Amino acid sequence: MRYLDLKRKIQEIRINAIEGIAEAGSGHPGASFSAAEIMGVLYFRELRHDPSNPTWTGRDYFINSKGHSAPGYYATLAVAGYFPKYEMKDLRKFGSRLQGHPVRYSKLLEHHSVPGVEYSGGSEGIGLSVSIGIALANNIDNKDNNVYVLIGDGETNEGQVWEAAMTAPKFKLDNIIAILDRNKIQQDGFTEDIMPLDPVRDKWVAFNWNVIEINGHKVEQIMDALNKASEVKDKPTIIIANTVKGNGIKHMANNPQWHGRAPHNLHIPLLIEELEGEILIAPSIIAGEKENYEEKIKKVERGGADIIHLDVMDGIFVPNVTFLADTIKKLRPITNIPFDAHLMIEKPYDHIEEYINAGCDIITIHAETCDNEKFCYIREKVMSAGISLGIAINPQTELPEWAYSYLNDIDVIIVMSVNPGFSGQKFIPDITSKISNLNRTLKVKGYKGYIEADGGIDASTVQRVYDAGARIMVAGSAVFSNSDINTAILQLKHKTNVTLERNLLKKADENSVRKDWIVARKHILIPVANELGIEDEINRL
Amino acid sequence: MKLTDCELRKGDMRSAYGNALVELGTINNDIVCVGADTTDSIKTKKFGDQFPERFFNIGIAEANLVSIAAGFAIAGKTAFASTYAAFLPGRCLDQIRNAICYPSLDVKLVVSHAGLTVGPDGASHQQIEDLSIMRSIPNMRVLAPADSVSVFKIIKNIADIQGPFYVRLARPSSEIIYDDNDSEFQIGKANILQDGSDITIIGCGLMVYKAIKTAKILKEKFHISARIIDSYSIKPLDSNLVIKAGQETGAIITVEEHNIIGGLGSAVAEVCSESHPCFIKRVGVRDTFGESARDSELNILLEHYGLTEKEIERAVLSTIDKLKK
Repeated sequence: MRYLDLKRKIQEIRINAIEGIAEAGSGHPGASFSAAEIMGVLYFRELRHDPSNPTWTGRDYFINSKGHSAPGYYATLAVAGYFPKYEMKDLRKFGSRLQGHPVRYSKLLEHHSVPGVEYSGGSEGIGLSVSIGIALANNIDNKDNNVYVLIGDGETNEGQVWEAAMTAPKFKLDNIIAILDRNKIQQDGFTEDIMPLDPVRDKWVAFNWNVIEINGHKVEQIMDALNKASEVKDKPTIIIANTVKGNGIKHMANNPQWHGRAPHNLHIPLLIEELEGEILIAPSIIAGEKENYEEKIKKVERGGADIIHLDVMDGIFVPNVTFLADTIKKLRPITNIPFDAHLMIEKPYDHIEEYINAGCDIITIHAETCDNEKFCYIREKVMSAGISLGIAINPQTELPEWAYSYLNDIDVIIVMSVNPGFSGQKFIPDITSKISNLNRTLKVKGYKGYIEADGGIDASTVQRVYDAGARIMVAGSAVFSNSDINTAILQLKHKTNVTLERNLLKKADENSVRKDWIVARKHILIPVANELGIEDEINRL
Repeated sequence: MKLTDCELRKGDMRSAYGNALVELGTINNDIVCVGADTTDSIKTKKFGDQFPERFFNIGIAEANLVSIAAGFAIAGKTAFASTYAAFLPGRCLDQIRNAICYPSLDVKLVVSHAGLTVGPDGASHQQIEDLSIMRSIPNMRVLAPADSVSVFKIIKNIADIQGPFYVRLARPSSEIIYDDNDSEFQIGKANILQDGSDITIIGCGLMVYKAIKTAKILKEKFHISARIIDSYSIKPLDSNLVIKAGQETGAIITVEEHNIIGGLGSAVAEVCSESHPCFIKRVGVRDTFGESARDSELNILLEHYGLTEKEIERAVLSTIDKLKK
């Protein structure tokens, strides 16, 4: 699945999970959210599976050992098409197929389960052993299917996990890929207070596993780890995915109180707005001082960039030359952060294969360089390569009519807020209303992709384009003119956060839950109370 | 049903189990066997010698053992998981309940060394609660064969029946009760080994032989005609046969190498009391832990805990006495 589409799917998982939990009045948002990227990558990128034929013999197995992440697991299955999404509202209710903890699907239990669930979770510590049985059976049958098993860190308090940890290497089970959702919180509090697990990496290494440690919320890191795991022979792999429990909703994140609590139904529109409000910062590496691109990529990677914006300029479409596909290909091995290639070239139609082969994750071409026929050709090439497709429009250009027929396939629309060609230009103020109008039109037409703002985005302009609906921010000089890139990126995110909080408060008013919302979110609002002008209000509570 | 002359032959239940597994393995490639460091003793090693690629020793990790068996079943195999009775039903109750019985997976838990007759190992190894524990889990079926012939046949039967089973074997060699050719063991049925009209004795496992011997004494000494039933299938129980026996003979004595709470006696009492109540007397371990005894002292051990022909005889006589009053 295309990178940006995958990001949207993961958002959808979180939204479906939290809606189900709120409707049920109980459930585990924390564990569902910490594992959302892991489940999303597994189901939309990694697993061989077929939602229309759940028992297909060629499938990979997914064992969800940490059964309390059920809402997130169900939401993933629903988004993948195993059962209708509207059933999420039945979560945990009497007579529902969506039991509090997942139940292995069978004819016998068809009223208490949904197709696709392989294993009955709920009692902790068992799933890794079960995975060993499946993996051994696959070996007997000479099947190359993998077994992916998700385990929780609280769950590894269970001694049986370590029995299984000893067993898989004995049988050289390289067809097992375990993923530890290391969110550091269990029911009673933080894992290191309840039953310390660290040094967790050393433990698994000592048990003779291949261990890969990643940030479990970065889909590119999850995909990279899964690729590495599949190359290892004669040893099982465990991916230690460092995650944040409740990730996605700020007041739930890393907060033990939200291990197993449901939000109020009236908060749901606000939570959805927050989830949809996530932004991606895309530093453009042509900005700043002339230094080599490798260095800059490494710098922004360390600085916390979400994606890397590559301004490809040919000197014809724009009056400047930067680099072409061969350079992107050379840069690709440096990082696994997604490459967002913005082709400012006269004839993308003639060169599209080169950019596909260069290892781009997103390829955006300019509307001005295309017509319907050419775009259709490019679209087919880009999409069939599993790459996100984008279309860019210059400040004077409107999104062409023909582009509207491809909205389902377009993952990103870049709205230029300067005339392309050189970095360091000033933001054109009129663009804000252009983005906001476009966003409104696109929403009506059911567009699910992103709007990306490019040109003159800095701390003074980012809030405007965010408010207008842009969720990917290309940042050039704003990032590279700062000696500390991380600070620069965090500053941009902080600005959009303030806007988000303001919008959420507005929505809280509309839903008559302002006081309740501020109470629930107090620790998030206090640091920005001054900027929001709600200091007195918070102090009174 | 043809019975053999009990005194003539002895059979080892574990060897019968091992032999049945080898036969099953030959005809069915989907049979796998997992063990927990007791495979030599339980004779599953026979299967392992023949089919090393389908045999897995998991070590002393029983929870892991039964869960791995569940995994095999998820992947389409029929998994036999075995170790001593002392270590499965209690230690792995949660895994058996959640990972095997709830999804009704094709896992056969076959355990040996059940009851007091483990002998020298003492109470820690004398499993006398397993029938009770296993019986209370939905989807689980619970069997306690009486001799090596029935073990062999039952193991072969259950391999073809989807879903979980708990089969309980004893450590000592059993007297052979059944004829090899002319005996049948359907799940949910019981066998009437001898008809009788004055009282019914229902037994399971090694105690069936003691019931047969007691019946002879009752006939010769007291002219009491006892109906003897081998209820190898404790769950599902052959309710019709049991209820009918109660109706026709007026009273039932149950005999099991198990705590009198929750086992065969309880199962019989449950079905009778709900349809045709009759007098029921349970012979078994009277809610106490056992103790060590050398193999040569097994009879003393059984006598101390009330598991002898003498005890059954006493139960019969006191019951008949009570009914007369």
